Amino acid sequence: MLEFRNTDVHIGNVPILRGLNVKIAPSETVALIGRNGAGKTTTLRSVMGFTDVKGQILIGGEDITRMRASRRPGLGIGYAPEDRRLFSGFTVEENIRLPGEVAKLDPDTQAARLDKVYRVLPELREMADRPAGAVSGGQGKMVALGRALMLGTRLLMLDEPFQGLAPALAQRYGEALGRLREVDPEVTVIVTESNPALLKSFARRTLVIERGEIAEAEHQAA
Amino acid sequence: MNLSLILLAVFDGVSYAALVFMVAVGLTLIFGVLRILNVAHGSLYAIGAYLTASIGGAVVAAGYSPILAFPLMLIAAALVGVLLGAPIERLLLRRIYAKSEVLQLLVTFAVFMILEDVQRLVWGNQPYFESSALQLLGNIQVFGVYYTSYQLVLLPVVALLTLIGLRLFLRRTLTGKLITAVTEDREAARSIGIDADRVYLMTFVLGAALAGLGGALASPTTSVLPGIGAEMIVLSFAVVATAGLGRIEGAAVAALLIGLGRSAATYAMPELQVLVPYLIMLAVLLVRPEGLFGTPAARKI
Repeated sequence: MLEFRNTDVHIGNVPILRGLNVKIAPSETVALIGRNGAGKTTTLRSVMGFTDVKGQILIGGEDITRMRASRRPGLGIGYAPEDRRLFSGFTVEENIRLPGEVAKLDPDTQAARLDKVYRVLPELREMADRPAGAVSGGQGKMVALGRALMLGTRLLMLDEPFQGLAPALAQRYGEALGRLREVDPEVTVIVTESNPALLKSFARRTLVIERGEIAEAEHQAA
Repeated sequence: MNLSLILLAVFDGVSYAALVFMVAVGLTLIFGVLRILNVAHGSLYAIGAYLTASIGGAVVAAGYSPILAFPLMLIAAALVGVLLGAPIERLLLRRIYAKSEVLQLLVTFAVFMILEDVQRLVWGNQPYFESSALQLLGNIQVFGVYYTSYQLVLLPVVALLTLIGLRLFLRRTLTGKLITAVTEDREAARSIGIDADRVYLMTFVLGAALAGLGGALASPTTSVLPGIGAEMIVLSFAVVATAGLGRIEGAAVAALLIGLGRSAATYAMPELQVLVPYLIMLAVLLVRPEGLFGTPAARKI
């Protein structure tokens, strides 16, 4: 589904990622573990087209290295950056719908996707009409996940979603990811985290990023 | 000061505020999205005024109805937006979004200087005055004071419609939502597939057209001559800074405040007329450094 081939990423003149060679299969759930500053966010941002990339990045066999950033979500990629980053002037539901409107999905598809988002995250239905600027940090993470689900039918990338979540909310977030697996078993999910223990319950494969290089974790969960 | 003088000062202030708002709102819209303070905005205002005055004069001289001045204003605004705004954004600003603010200011200042000379080349140093649009609408009497309908009714109504229209456009249309999204968070917008480059271009063209429309609307009320762009851009900066950068409703309130302050000074203390807008700005920024409607932002490191 997602493949890095000899991928180098620089930010300015600073090399962040070196010689990535990673293949992630469809419907896999992958934890990308690493310390702060190891390059987790840069890995996800390079898939979105926000960095200078040497080498190749492929989605479903298609080389997207030179594809414009704005076209990539339309391939079925959903990305929830760290820190929520919702559009505070829009309501919760407007935030979730916007990617579908941008991608010009037909109204039926948009409605079906919104329904899927509410099945995975039922609690968002109650706050649908609230301004996104007025929801709490933890709720905001759920909204950001919902927004990423709107287009993320093939690949879903969640950047440190558990960061700063209270334990109860973290558990609900984990449950939502479990429901996502039931609703949409095909989608590939990549979750970054600095604390690997949090991802044990649902990630089948763990990749460790260290000094700009990615390797398989030694102990694979069964 | 008697009542009619006070009324005159208020009317002057309101009509001038309407014009300043048209220019300032484009400036603040562009700043909100592109994060660039566009000094060349003043030239776009001046060119809108020159186009309307010169073509309008020719049209009336050729014996056509002066009512054509009104559609001509819209055409002038569109020409400024598309023929000047689009190339400035596409060919110049696009290269400097990642650069320092100082460089960005210098580049737009250079564009301003170039366009000032272009105006002299095309229209010379002679003032243009073409007021048939203003005369066409006649005068109205309010509490015994006569004032032109164009300045007291048309200008404020156009400014108000622009304010409401922009609000609805940004809130209700998809294009407007894209602009709002990019204004708040460029990368979050791009990560849901918004083509930020296109949004930048559309915003700049729209902002430039508003500056052009401001100039077009101003042309019947004043002589169009070299230097009007500089005067307007400095005043617009004062309005935008007073309001809080990127604030549309704020720009309307600040324009009214500064317009009224300026005209009050004109009647009460004419020697302070030039100074008063900046005194207002200074007073506001001393109390609220982020502007009347701005929100204090922590600088990202």
